Amino acid sequence: MKKVLELTKVFLKTSFSNMNSQMGIKTKNKIGIVALYIFLIVYLGGLIGIFSYNIIELLKTINQESIFIGLILLITIGFTLFQSIFSSINVLYFTKDSEYILPLPLKPSEIILSRTIVILVMEYFVEAMISLIPLILYGVLTGMGVMYYITMAIALILIPILPVVLISTIVMIVMSFSKLVRNKNKFQIVATIIVLIFSVAFGMLISSTNGEVTDEQMMQMIMQANSMVNLIDGYFPTLSTLITALTSTSVFEVIVAILETIGISVIALIIYLFIAEKIYLKGLVGNLFSGNSKKSKVDLNKNNFNNSKLYKSYVGKEFKILLRNPIFLMQCFIPAILIPILMIGIVALNFRGIPAEEFQEVTSLIPNNTIVVVSVILGIVQFFYMFSYISITAISRDGENAVFMKYVPVSLYKQYIYKIIPNFIMNIFTVIVTLAILQFILKMPIITLLIVFVISMIMNAFQSILMLVIDLKKPKLNWDSEYAVVKQNMNLMYPMLLSMVNIGILVLITIITNSLNVYIGSGIILVVYGLLTYFVNRYLYKNQVKLADNII
Amino acid sequence: MIEIKNVSKSYVKNKKSIDSLNLEIKDGEIFGFLGPNGAGKTTTIRMITGILNADEGDILIDGNSITTNPLEAKKSIGFVPDSPDMFLRLKGIEYLNFMADVYDVPVEKRKAKIEELTKKFEIYDDLNSQIQSYSHGMRQKIVICGALLSEPKNWILDEPMTGLDPKSSFDLKEMMKEHAKSGKTVFFSTHVLEVAEKLCDRVGIVNKGKLVFVGTLAQMKEKFKDNGSLEELFLEITEE
Ligand SMILES: Nc1ncnc2c1ncn2[C@@H]1O[C@H](COP(=O)(O)OP(=O)(O)OP(=O)(O)O)[C@@H](O)[C@H]1O
Ligand SMILES: [Mg+2]
Repeated sequence: MKKVLELTKVFLKTSFSNMNSQMGIKTKNKIGIVALYIFLIVYLGGLIGIFSYNIIELLKTINQESIFIGLILLITIGFTLFQSIFSSINVLYFTKDSEYILPLPLKPSEIILSRTIVILVMEYFVEAMISLIPLILYGVLTGMGVMYYITMAIALILIPILPVVLISTIVMIVMSFSKLVRNKNKFQIVATIIVLIFSVAFGMLISSTNGEVTDEQMMQMIMQANSMVNLIDGYFPTLSTLITALTSTSVFEVIVAILETIGISVIALIIYLFIAEKIYLKGLVGNLFSGNSKKSKVDLNKNNFNNSKLYKSYVGKEFKILLRNPIFLMQCFIPAILIPILMIGIVALNFRGIPAEEFQEVTSLIPNNTIVVVSVILGIVQFFYMFSYISITAISRDGENAVFMKYVPVSLYKQYIYKIIPNFIMNIFTVIVTLAILQFILKMPIITLLIVFVISMIMNAFQSILMLVIDLKKPKLNWDSEYAVVKQNMNLMYPMLLSMVNIGILVLITIITNSLNVYIGSGIILVVYGLLTYFVNRYLYKNQVKLADNII
Repeated sequence: MIEIKNVSKSYVKNKKSIDSLNLEIKDGEIFGFLGPNGAGKTTTIRMITGILNADEGDILIDGNSITTNPLEAKKSIGFVPDSPDMFLRLKGIEYLNFMADVYDVPVEKRKAKIEELTKKFEIYDDLNSQIQSYSHGMRQKIVICGALLSEPKNWILDEPMTGLDPKSSFDLKEMMKEHAKSGKTVFFSTHVLEVAEKLCDRVGIVNKGKLVFVGTLAQMKEKFKDNGSLEELFLEITEE
């Protein structure tokens, strides 16, 4: 057991030290950053809190507030299941330290147990974000005693165990087959896409139940969800025991329920360790050391020598690395394609119920070519730009190899621009898809489309350049798996932040110029972002060498 | 030709990793850069290649300053870094083509060069696989090939022998000799004293950021009046 704890400490350190070093030492304006995180957490917490408050109050009116506990636990389990698909693949199979751990005299079960604890710790963070506030709020609003909070703490610790064990087992079984798959990379990509499709479907499901809801509809939905809780109860044994633990008023029942939960979790863990011991190492070794199965020779006379223009070959290189790396592909590339498509799904689902005449009434209410329409569409585009991670990770993705930029005889500015281009292109794609869908629904005048397109391209350039500057200032170069760059990277909040600020600016300009001609309003937006782009580009150009100082 | 003029560098304040270094590596010379771990070899090479900026002093590559005229200076450098794990998702041939584009090597020349170099290192048959699937030594070799495609005037290598098998190591040494013979410069760091002894026209020994000796091996033996082995000599020089 001592070994397991030691090992866990090491694993945790390696996966979290990245974050710390990025937040720590080098940032001069530390207070600002801390304030920002606090703001984001408070903001999210606030949203969740308000939402929970409404539901609890609603349920109180029919004296059914205990249903809320079931809902929150269900959501928590759902999130944990989903999150652990990613974290368990990553932690179990894609961390570099496996190569160093394997030769050590450790039992497989010790390795697995420590790795599983790492996954669990990650889940606890998710949990702290999404379930802590609602559960505390529930306790306060329904006037619960100390015992409730103690039970809650125990429950929070116990909830993720079963989902993590379940998902990790599935992941291990799949991975032990991955050896059978000829081409490891392709397999990873396919697996990735499957996970994504599931998550998109899940997103659509959620969003289809979202939107304008009255209290009655809300109540109806809660009841539906509650029947889902009851349904899942049967399959997920710890759900019902935990609900009992948190809602029962009898101390005896609570204790029994907790003991039951612990019992089930421990049994699951033992079974899991037993299975894992048999298959984990096999799959891991297969995954770490699988070679290229097919070996084809180069044909020197067959087009293998293309003297392309440098920009082509540089941008091509960036794209190749993005596309061939399953993790980068999934985080940087596919969202740009999938998120707008996801939007089609949402739109289709939401408009399905509306009768045609009514729908036309709604669209005809939208005055055609006004600054409001332009701004709203630009705002939607901005929303999608939040997920464009190519530029913000352009330097970090290269890892220790990023120094390459500094010793080749190509100006740093040029290389920066080459690295930005994939981000720019993917954003163009996003804009086109968005506009196509909106056009399909709203039938806007061509001139509106044109205005929106031009402005979003300028905002695209601005975002792409600014995000690269941020990555240059705070690159994350010492990572142990690609996953760390695109997931556990604090920089990823900047695209989100920028889009939020942009939406704010758009709203402001719209309010100011609302009474004026659409061209004046759009002109102002164009000039503002044109200037911003000009300045950030000039900054990048002037400081190209100094900005590379952090790349060693 | 590489001229290092009074160069200093500290990563952290008040701790100089390189302290007032002066060196001149002439055309046609193979120069070995020796020193214990953490002496400052990689730091020096990073400054020569433009990865790091020197705090003081300047470095000239064929007369071009790496700080004020970096593009011209870098054009005449072929650099082999200490870690060959680069562009692992590219295929060997893609990597070489990319390097040829970066260093502006015309098609006909690159074709001949790629064939010659990769056949010599026996990685020709692996060019169509991703570098990820290469062994450490193979990665080292493809990086060396990439650095030599443009026939750079100055060849700079950071511990190039690590991971190479005897035959490849021999080939590399022969290539360094040829390179120098045609009037070009070779600058490399190493821990292996025999390599330095057999190969280098001159060596520099650096310890704790300071250059403690520069000259031929004969001069070294003479200066320290020691009849012991090269190893003992090295230990004596780098000792406190
Ligand atoms: N990125 C860095 N940040 C801080 N200090 C560094 C960094 N890189 C190197 N150093 C310090 O600079 C000194 C010289 O390191 P350098 O890497 O140049 O040594 P070296 O001679 O190449 O050693 P080796 O033979 O192990 O490769 C060492 O004391 C090291 O601790
Ligand atoms: Mg070194």
